[in-house]
Amino acid sequence: MNKSDFKLIGIIVIVFLIIMLGFRLFEKKGEKVARVYYQNEMVLEIDLSDKSYREYNVNGYNGNVLIISENGKVRVKEEISPLHLCSKQGWIDSSYETIVCLPNKIIIKIETSQDLDAIVR
Amino acid sequence: MELKKFTRLTMLLSLSVVLNIFESFIPLFNGFIPGLKLGLANSIVLMVLYLFSFKDAIYISILRVFMVGILRIGLFSVTFCFSLGGAILSVISMALAKKYTKLSIIGVSIVGSIMHSIGQILVAIIILKTYNIIYYLPWLLIFSIPTGIFIGVISKELVKYFEKRLKLL
Repeated sequence: MNKSDFKLIGIIVIVFLIIMLGFRLFEKKGEKVARVYYQNEMVLEIDLSDKSYREYNVNGYNGNVLIISENGKVRVKEEISPLHLCSKQGWIDSSYETIVCLPNKIIIKIETSQDLDAIVR
Repeated sequence: MELKKFTRLTMLLSLSVVLNIFESFIPLFNGFIPGLKLGLANSIVLMVLYLFSFKDAIYISILRVFMVGILRIGLFSVTFCFSLGGAILSVISMALAKKYTKLSIIGVSIVGSIMHSIGQILVAIIILKTYNIIYYLPWLLIFSIPTGIFIGVISKELVKYFEKRLKLL
């Protein structure tokens, strides 16, 4: 490794820190909702200000997807897919986080209730 | 293309396909960040870039994606498009880094690893129509340092080893 390699690593670390700081600063405030999309169409909206434990069943491409929410967080509990990546990902709770479940064509996004859906086509 | 070179490149291509499939069996921080992997096949691409040419490296890396597509993930599936985007961006940026910067092979490997992540995320944003995936980017960036160094060290040894042998053959 030479000097410019270390410079490159330094730059990456700095960029990483700046992006993480940016995420913290620009996190949207307001009522949070988790929106579940199946093939880019919204199929379920979960109000995250309700802290109680709730279960939701959504139809994914491979069958049933069990989504649970508690304490303002949301996660995929059970789904049918080869690697179970989205249930392994666990809880998400901030507005820049997403759970993407490719085999089931399901995306869960956390959004604030103000921003109306510009993404759904 | 002369036959000798052609045969060597074909063998390297099959090696990179095997490495690509093999590494999908290694769980790396299982599920913490989707898309995180070692990138063993990149060591072959890097080696071709240093011992052969940019053109050969881009052939190897695109053909690899297609062959893994046929064998495992399915041609033109969503994951296939991610891999293709990542592979093309990564090989082009590695060639540029090799030509225009003073980075050693390890630095070039880190550049390739980062650009692979960025390419995948760009394709994901286009296909899935969501910007939220950018959230994964900083994590993929920071993990590309250890994986890039690892692959870089392997490629350095590979280049050293094959530089001598290829002339003898």
